[in-house]
Amino acid sequence: MSKESKTMEREAQVKARAKEPWTARRVGDLILNNALIIIMVIAVIYIAIVNKNFMKPASIINILAQTCAYLPVALGVGGCIVLTGTDLSAGRIVGLTACISASLLQSVDAASKMWVNLTPPNVILVLILAMVIGGAIGAFNGFFVAKFKLHPFIVTLASQLIVYTFLLLYVKAGNNNGMAISGLDKSYSGFITGSLLKIGGTPIPNYVWIAVICTIVMWFIWNKTTFGKNMFALGANEEAARVSGVNVFATTLMVFALAGAMYAVTGFIEGARVASNTANTGLNYESDAIAACVIGGVSFVGGIGKIRGIVIGVLMLRLIFVGLNMIGINQDLFYIIKGGIILFACALDMRKYLVKK
Amino acid sequence: MDQPALLEMRNICKSFPGVKALDNVSLTVRPGTVHALMGENGAGKSTLMKCLFGIYSKDSGTITLEGKEVNFKSSKEAMENGVAMVHQELNQALTRTVTDNLWLGRYPKVGGIMVSEGTMRKRTKEIFDQLEVHVDPKAIMSTMPVSQRQMVEIAKAVSYDAKVIVFDEPTSSLTETEVEHLFRIINMLRDKGCGIIYISHKMEEILRISDEVTIMRDGQYVATKPAKDLTMEEIIRLMVGRELTNRFPPKENVPGETILEVEHLSGKYTRLQEASFQLRAGEILGIAGLDGSGRTEVLENLFGSMTKASGTIRLHGKEIKNRNPRESIKNGFALLTEERRATGIFGIRDILDNTVISNLKSYLMGGICLSDKKMRQDTDWAIQAMRIKTPSQKTQIRSLSGGNQQKVIIGRWLLTKPEVLLLDEPTRGIDVGAKYEIYELIINLAKEGKGVIMVSSEMPELLGVCDRILVMSGGQLAGEVDAKTTSQEEILTLAAKYV
Amino acid sequence: MKKFLALILALVMSLSLVACGSEETTDEGATDGDTAASELNVGVFYYNYSDAYITTVRNAMDGLLEEAGITYNNYDGAGNQATQLDQINTAISNGANLLVVNIVETSSPDAAQQACDAAKNAGIPIIFFNREVENSVVDSYENCAFVGTDAAEAGHMQGEMIGNYLLENYDAVDLNGDGTISYVLFKGQEGNKEAEYRTQYSVEDADAILTEAGKPALSFYDANNTSKYLVDTTGNWSSQAATDYMNTILAAYSEASGNMVELVIANNDGMAEGAIAALQAAGYNTGEEGSTTIPVYGVDAMDSAVQKIENGQMTGTVKQDAEGMANTIMTLVNNINTGAALMDNTTDFVVDSDCAKIRVPYAMVTSEEAAA
Repeated sequence: MSKESKTMEREAQVKARAKEPWTARRVGDLILNNALIIIMVIAVIYIAIVNKNFMKPASIINILAQTCAYLPVALGVGGCIVLTGTDLSAGRIVGLTACISASLLQSVDAASKMWVNLTPPNVILVLILAMVIGGAIGAFNGFFVAKFKLHPFIVTLASQLIVYTFLLLYVKAGNNNGMAISGLDKSYSGFITGSLLKIGGTPIPNYVWIAVICTIVMWFIWNKTTFGKNMFALGANEEAARVSGVNVFATTLMVFALAGAMYAVTGFIEGARVASNTANTGLNYESDAIAACVIGGVSFVGGIGKIRGIVIGVLMLRLIFVGLNMIGINQDLFYIIKGGIILFACALDMRKYLVKK
Repeated sequence: MDQPALLEMRNICKSFPGVKALDNVSLTVRPGTVHALMGENGAGKSTLMKCLFGIYSKDSGTITLEGKEVNFKSSKEAMENGVAMVHQELNQALTRTVTDNLWLGRYPKVGGIMVSEGTMRKRTKEIFDQLEVHVDPKAIMSTMPVSQRQMVEIAKAVSYDAKVIVFDEPTSSLTETEVEHLFRIINMLRDKGCGIIYISHKMEEILRISDEVTIMRDGQYVATKPAKDLTMEEIIRLMVGRELTNRFPPKENVPGETILEVEHLSGKYTRLQEASFQLRAGEILGIAGLDGSGRTEVLENLFGSMTKASGTIRLHGKEIKNRNPRESIKNGFALLTEERRATGIFGIRDILDNTVISNLKSYLMGGICLSDKKMRQDTDWAIQAMRIKTPSQKTQIRSLSGGNQQKVIIGRWLLTKPEVLLLDEPTRGIDVGAKYEIYELIINLAKEGKGVIMVSSEMPELLGVCDRILVMSGGQLAGEVDAKTTSQEEILTLAAKYV
Repeated sequence: MKKFLALILALVMSLSLVACGSEETTDEGATDGDTAASELNVGVFYYNYSDAYITTVRNAMDGLLEEAGITYNNYDGAGNQATQLDQINTAISNGANLLVVNIVETSSPDAAQQACDAAKNAGIPIIFFNREVENSVVDSYENCAFVGTDAAEAGHMQGEMIGNYLLENYDAVDLNGDGTISYVLFKGQEGNKEAEYRTQYSVEDADAILTEAGKPALSFYDANNTSKYLVDTTGNWSSQAATDYMNTILAAYSEASGNMVELVIANNDGMAEGAIAALQAAGYNTGEEGSTTIPVYGVDAMDSAVQKIENGQMTGTVKQDAEGMANTIMTLVNNINTGAALMDNTTDFVVDSDCAKIRVPYAMVTSEEAAA
């Protein structure tokens, strides 16, 4: 059959191409497809030459630690983007869970203790509570998206505002009166900012390990579970997924709930890392997280994305942040560079998915 | 046949990296004729047309229109010079009105700024009257059936006073009566002196409507012959480069006991009313009918992807509900949907993901973790059993041809070990060779004792593959015929019963 | 799976790279210490570039640092304590040997304490400025100082200006002639010490002057509002928040219905100007002959506010001396640069008796001062 022979021909072409010499075109394609990584490497080398401090352990651990603090939010919002959605409520959920975690874990003798008679409960218990609260708000988002077919942009725009009221009311609750929640118990600050391991004399803060665990768990969920496969199918083609027997409602709800729980992890980390929590905590965290996802190739086209990409995306943003500070670029220019990189990354990314015409 | 050519494309070549898509192809269209362009999918018909309309730039060759060499930069420029195309996939602004779509990009203006609604409506009506089209110019495109949307596209070509009109698979989603209407319009245009290029897979149509036929194969020009000198077998021979003696594989399935009984099935939001029928193991049950007669609705209500108003379904005598696709899959049903791209494939995902999606539960290890090995094995099985042509399991499904995509979806369903397969237009948009393979697959499934219900708008296909055929008309079951003894006339009469 | 392994491997490799690199840094660190004395590298952390007053301080600082030929890096905290903390850590790892910090979070000492501890661990001096930090923070580290204002002073001055102005113009201001002045107060941020003090003392001190002269105390325009202020919920002291509030007020309160707001007090000039924008849209405070001017008070004495006072569109502000602030900070920076102690050469300044805190004095600005 001609069709058959033609496909075989094409297959042969593909194979032949693998053995093909390195033509200019092939090299060009390879460079374009990995442009971000290449730019990142060049940038790192450049910064390292300009500023010797950049490659010192203290600096590398600083970058690593910052990446880890922001990573869980990005891991959460990534799932929403895979479903062709987004989540604008991430920052406020971070804020709320940070304030709740901090308020429950104030030391007994804190100056302005929010809940006066509360002895700090177990740290893990509070983490789980925060994740349940974050997950519940996420499930709320997911419910409206799945049940009423509203675009997540609208649902989370609304819930972001709703959560902000909870946050404002919460920081005024108890004894606190809108002041920053601080004076944290040693068990909490030790758990987050303490250090089990030192490299080159620089301590690695413990929250790095929390972020690493989150990354592994999310990788497993995305790649090894029915839920993960269903999520990608749903993002790629909702109708086809429904006909193929995917529970669209439950999957959507779960993606958002999981995202909420991930925001809560960052909230829990930030609560102790920044150590001074107000209604402003977490503000706009979603924009960096969404940017990190799209830089890392989680496409708004839907159904596409890798945990690896998200990690690279967050790392990239932190590298920009630290690197630009290190080479002493005028801070006013900082935002244009960041914006430019986001645009560039997405344009490159779309290049891969566009059907060539 | 000696009149000067209206449009002449000579020695057109076009290469893509690694592929020579067009190799010295020539096409000559005379005024007042219908010129059919034939070839399998991938033969280069679309590429040739894209070169004509400036969507691709040709590598070499000349295009002359009425003796003048032309090189269109865009389809808009082509339109303005009297060369128009009615696309296979209609690119229309679906949320806008008929009039808007007709005048899009060249709204008649008042005072240079304001759009003149009056002029627009008047001209629209004139054109529709001329074509005997009954379409409400104010209707929103998305609310209209495909056939009417196509008429709007034709009207658009006419409104440009097009001298050459290209029809790309115009009948693939039309019913018999709509096809008749289309042919009347095409004949009218021909009589006006237009040159028509007609691209289609359907032999019967080609032989009926066209004056000349040009056949292409693998990017090369094969032959141009007067239609009256050609037979179907001859065309197929030229297209595939060898004899295709039989369009359908031998029917070797033997219907057994009744497995499925459906009584008084009605749709809640569709026009399907009170359909009752049975299906036997190893039987292929066809559903015929005009577009909009409720064929697809029978399958979708049965599968639960549309909400039922009433009806009982019994599988092996036991009543089942099939409230949603998930439940139906558990009950051993599978549905191959009509719109492959919209509701079948996950275009951006790879073959493996597309294959295993309905069967994920069976790959679980310890209740949580999916086994990559088992998934790969099953995908390998599907690729081999369905004879899917793909470089690897990791290939994006949308880079495969339509026939291979369809095979992947059939493979997906076979993995769920269904007892009842519901196939909606299983060969739509698939070329002749691949169609044969799909028929073979369907008959083999029946041979294994599965019950198959198959909806098709191609009558010969139903007659060639099915055992019994149900005929739908106006949302009701109009009758049931035996595929061996019935005729196209009988089916058409039944299909018109409640219209 | 393979790719994931590769990723892990890469991570491990980069960590080991760090571990290897650590050996060289120990001796290199020593040389760094030597160069630090001769070569000053200052990190200046502003809480938010979008704050108009802070921008004037920044411009003054940039000029002074460049003049002195000192290497420096500016950082925009963008109103986010987490960002600022990241920046401080980055600067320290980048070899900054003096931190000048305009802390974001002031409602609790923990954020400032963290910054101070980071400096202490790195063995470098830290100067806080503008946004006040607790004494305990400054006391916790010998190389820590604060340059700011006496937070309460601005509020006191605002109150004094308001009280005196009202006594002179009582009947003109009392638009509905009911004998009491109804006012609105815009607070910049919850939990910020400056905002708290300005909110409290401006009204208290004005009331004290009024009641002493036998007039009734100020009354908040909305009796149902028990907090007696409207706050920018984003905590940005933004003029936009004041404009929005003022527009809302003007929709319900007017001269015609006899309940017009007769006095506007704002925590900063930005908010005062925001309120004026809304008033002008309603036909007030245009500065033109015959138009009614609602007295509006701010703090900071930004150029634009001073000009408004000259034009009669605004009534008063309190000068928060940006250049004075920058000069004071530079004195401390130069101390470090020349190897002197952090708090040397500060006898000319107002220094707290119990803590290393320098107070840059405020000054009242009304139409007379503005014209001069």
